[in-house]
Amino acid sequence: MKIVEISHVSRVYKVGDHEQKALDDVSLELESGKTIVILGPSGAGKSTLLNLLGGLDSPTSGTIKIKGQDISTLNADQLAEYRASGVGFIFQAYNLIPTLTVLENVALVKEIAKDPLSSHDMLREVGLGDHMYKFPVELSGGEQQRVSIARAVTKNPDILLCDEPTGALDTETGIMVLKLLQRMAKEHGKTTIIVTHNQNIAKMADVVVHVKNGKIKEVINNDKPLAVEEVEW
Amino acid sequence: MLFKKLIRTIGRYKAQFISMIIMVGLGVGIFLGFNIEWKTLEVNVAKAFEDTGFADYRIVNERGFSEEDLKKIESIDGVDAASRFLSVNVPRKDDEDIVMLTVSENISVSGFKVLEGTPYDPDDAEGLWISERYAKQNGLSVGDTYTMVYKSLEFSGPIRGLVKSGEYMICLVEKAQLMPDHEKNGFVYVSPAYMKAKVGMTFYPQIHVRSDLPKETMIDRVEAALGKSYMIVDKELVTSYAEAHGEMTEGKTMAALLPVIFLAIAILTMITTMHRISISEKTQIGTLKSLGFKDRRILRHYAAYGLFISICGTVLGVVLGLGIGYFFINPNSVMGDYLDMEHWELHMPLWSIAVVIMINVVLVLATLYSVASMMKGTAAEALKPYAPKAMRRMWIEKKKVWKDLSFATKWNIRDILRHKSRSFMTLFGIISCMLILIASFGINDTLNSYIDDFFENSICYKTKIVLDTEQAGDADVAALIDRYEADWTSSMGVQIGENTYAMEIYGLEHEYFRFVKGHGEHIDLPDDGVLICERIAKKEGLKVGDTFTVSVYGTSEKYDLKVADIAKSISESVMMSDTYAGKLGVNYQITELFTNETEIEESPIISSTQTKQALLDTFKSFTELMNVMIVMLVFISVLLGIVVLYNLGIMSYAERYRELATLKVVGFKDRHISRILIDQNLWMTILGVLVGIPAGIGVLKILLVMLASDYELTLTIKWLTYLIATALTFGVSFIVGVMVSRKNKDIDMVEALKVAE
Repeated sequence: MKIVEISHVSRVYKVGDHEQKALDDVSLELESGKTIVILGPSGAGKSTLLNLLGGLDSPTSGTIKIKGQDISTLNADQLAEYRASGVGFIFQAYNLIPTLTVLENVALVKEIAKDPLSSHDMLREVGLGDHMYKFPVELSGGEQQRVSIARAVTKNPDILLCDEPTGALDTETGIMVLKLLQRMAKEHGKTTIIVTHNQNIAKMADVVVHVKNGKIKEVINNDKPLAVEEVEW
Repeated sequence: MLFKKLIRTIGRYKAQFISMIIMVGLGVGIFLGFNIEWKTLEVNVAKAFEDTGFADYRIVNERGFSEEDLKKIESIDGVDAASRFLSVNVPRKDDEDIVMLTVSENISVSGFKVLEGTPYDPDDAEGLWISERYAKQNGLSVGDTYTMVYKSLEFSGPIRGLVKSGEYMICLVEKAQLMPDHEKNGFVYVSPAYMKAKVGMTFYPQIHVRSDLPKETMIDRVEAALGKSYMIVDKELVTSYAEAHGEMTEGKTMAALLPVIFLAIAILTMITTMHRISISEKTQIGTLKSLGFKDRRILRHYAAYGLFISICGTVLGVVLGLGIGYFFINPNSVMGDYLDMEHWELHMPLWSIAVVIMINVVLVLATLYSVASMMKGTAAEALKPYAPKAMRRMWIEKKKVWKDLSFATKWNIRDILRHKSRSFMTLFGIISCMLILIASFGINDTLNSYIDDFFENSICYKTKIVLDTEQAGDADVAALIDRYEADWTSSMGVQIGENTYAMEIYGLEHEYFRFVKGHGEHIDLPDDGVLICERIAKKEGLKVGDTFTVSVYGTSEKYDLKVADIAKSISESVMMSDTYAGKLGVNYQITELFTNETEIEESPIISSTQTKQALLDTFKSFTELMNVMIVMLVFISVLLGIVVLYNLGIMSYAERYRELATLKVVGFKDRHISRILIDQNLWMTILGVLVGIPAGIGVLKILLVMLASDYELTLTIKWLTYLIATALTFGVSFIVGVMVSRKNKDIDMVEALKVAE
């Protein structure tokens, strides 16, 4: 089943009098339940693509359908509802609320998501059952990213959007986080879209989308995606 | 190059910079404004007294002083000048106006200054020198003829000059009058030659004296010179002097109280805001350090921010201060209605300039203090972004109730406790706003209740008739009382110890005059004791049941009086019934009648009449003066609330920007996030209001003691005041909350996805 249908999407930013095309007439279709990696160098437009998919930004032209719903025409409130239940974000900088405990950071999404999962269960699943009442600052980077994953999955969205999820972590911790991400996506049946410039991560993807200069250069279907531990890091 | 950085940084934080400039401007402006107010009064009032030879002492003898008496006074060692003096209230012919007909034998004492017309001539037996203010209000000019009626005699003559006099700087013709009415009342000076020509004699019940001698010495020397004790009134008890100086004291009090709040807020806001800005600038400070800039150079650069704010704020403050000063003290202001003086140029105490410079220094030091903490350690350490204090679990989190709170509530509670200085400043701003509102509306309530007590509950007559005590025989007065079905009073000067008061005896068959205490409770005049006013009770340490002795001026009569109750009174007086006076055998002469009749026929024994309405009209001006002050204070407190809360709101918003963006990314709607921000504002407002109410009452108590000890005011705050003050404070908080939370729409969520610097 197609979960993402991007059709002739462009995103143009105005910088003073100058127009900068971050995405230029991009079209892409993605299947449900897959792990998709968007690869490309800095400034290629991969983060712009992720922002559009996550409803953080709207395209200048073209349409983006998520499960058949065109999100490019939604207003601010409708986009907020979409973000509340449709997608879960995992950021490179974790973006946890420092004044909320680990449990509260995860549980806060239950106030807005339509069909959330148990935040306690989710924290236990990511191995933080003993750290629920700690504040983010008391956790390591890897642990904070696990909280971020738990928060994203608790919303029970169809899609997990990950922006350089291991970018701020050392290799060992990064591998552990990716393992967790892969396991959670599989167990909960989520489509996972990862934006990265790390070629190795692409090896664990079902689909690899190469982006350069605001255009999709290549979409490669990977018949034999590797498990995280099989990838040479 | 760093100058460019300075300009651009100011542009980046323009909301904070503008808020701080306004805060400093308000602080400096209010400080200077109130100091300009009292200083201007001090200089110009002193000049007016100096120009017209305002007397230091007034020796009073109702039977009059002879030329020989005057010579004896003049010969006292330490007396610079003396003059026999007469001032009587006389009506203008065919008019309700009452003017004070005045003769000062030696015009250099309690005289006047001619603003227009010919100089005073003691031998001029025809001309009048008339109050310039009264003349202008009534379209009178030099050369016009003016006519008064006194003791059935017409006093008429051409106006020789329009004048001002320190003696009548506050021109009140009636002791219960609070504000002058320049259209109906004024003063007219004539020469002794004029009086002699019109009346055939001169009668002077007072000798005015200019002398630096202390009061006790003056009393002793006058007694020694005249061989008898007389009532001696020093200038501090004369309305013009006392009230003008009262205004200065009020100005000084306000200058000491109000600006402190504003300056404290300005300095604290400066520290909090500059701390926030230097946190944002920390990596830049580190960069400058790593590039090789010396600490001193960097500090100098950041000191320029503080200097910029304090200079702009000071300029704004000086303009505002002059504006406030002029607003209060100009000939067309309510103060201009109150004080009739020639000069109104603004003056500023020199030391206030030094204080303003000090404020600037403190503001710059506050900036340096904030920046210095960000520069600590090596360049590498300075390069690291600011690490906020780690969150710790609080005691409340261990309570069961904590678990039931929504995340927004927990978030807000932690945010308040985490950013203590910001939260404290917010609270301080709200408390100050509420405090000023309660105090200023409270002044209004208290004065209105005072006016109600005296003029609605106490004065029940329609007309007061002032008798000419020299002409009025007992039978004539009795006939008048019958004719007008009048109540009456007699007033005489008495001493309790060293202090001089009035003793009033009342015959109140019709209850045209009633006595009140506390919050306007009616009390009867007893037949076995006296009522004393609150001020006498306080000054003499008297309470109900005590007995005290009064000696009547100019006689050897002494009476032991029992305090039956303590009442409110406009003048400092002892009040007794005619029955009690009869029992004690007090000698008295009726001086005033109270009646419900409004048509009073002219009579040789009636000196003047005054309607209750005319008296009430003077209060309108008095309340106008208060209303102007209240409107200004309300405006200032609302502005203060908006500026402080907006500045702190913006700061809070900036501090939580990333968190708010995260909330938005995970799916929170703008209005949900706004509600969280507004909720925090409302909590702080509730707390601020709860603290602000008692604080406001406390400040009002202080203000009443410091500003209005001459009036027996009972602190009164109506429910409506609490309601309006609370509504205004909440309104300010809500509006600012909405203003800040509207910024949510502009949160760039994409930014939140980026890695923090």
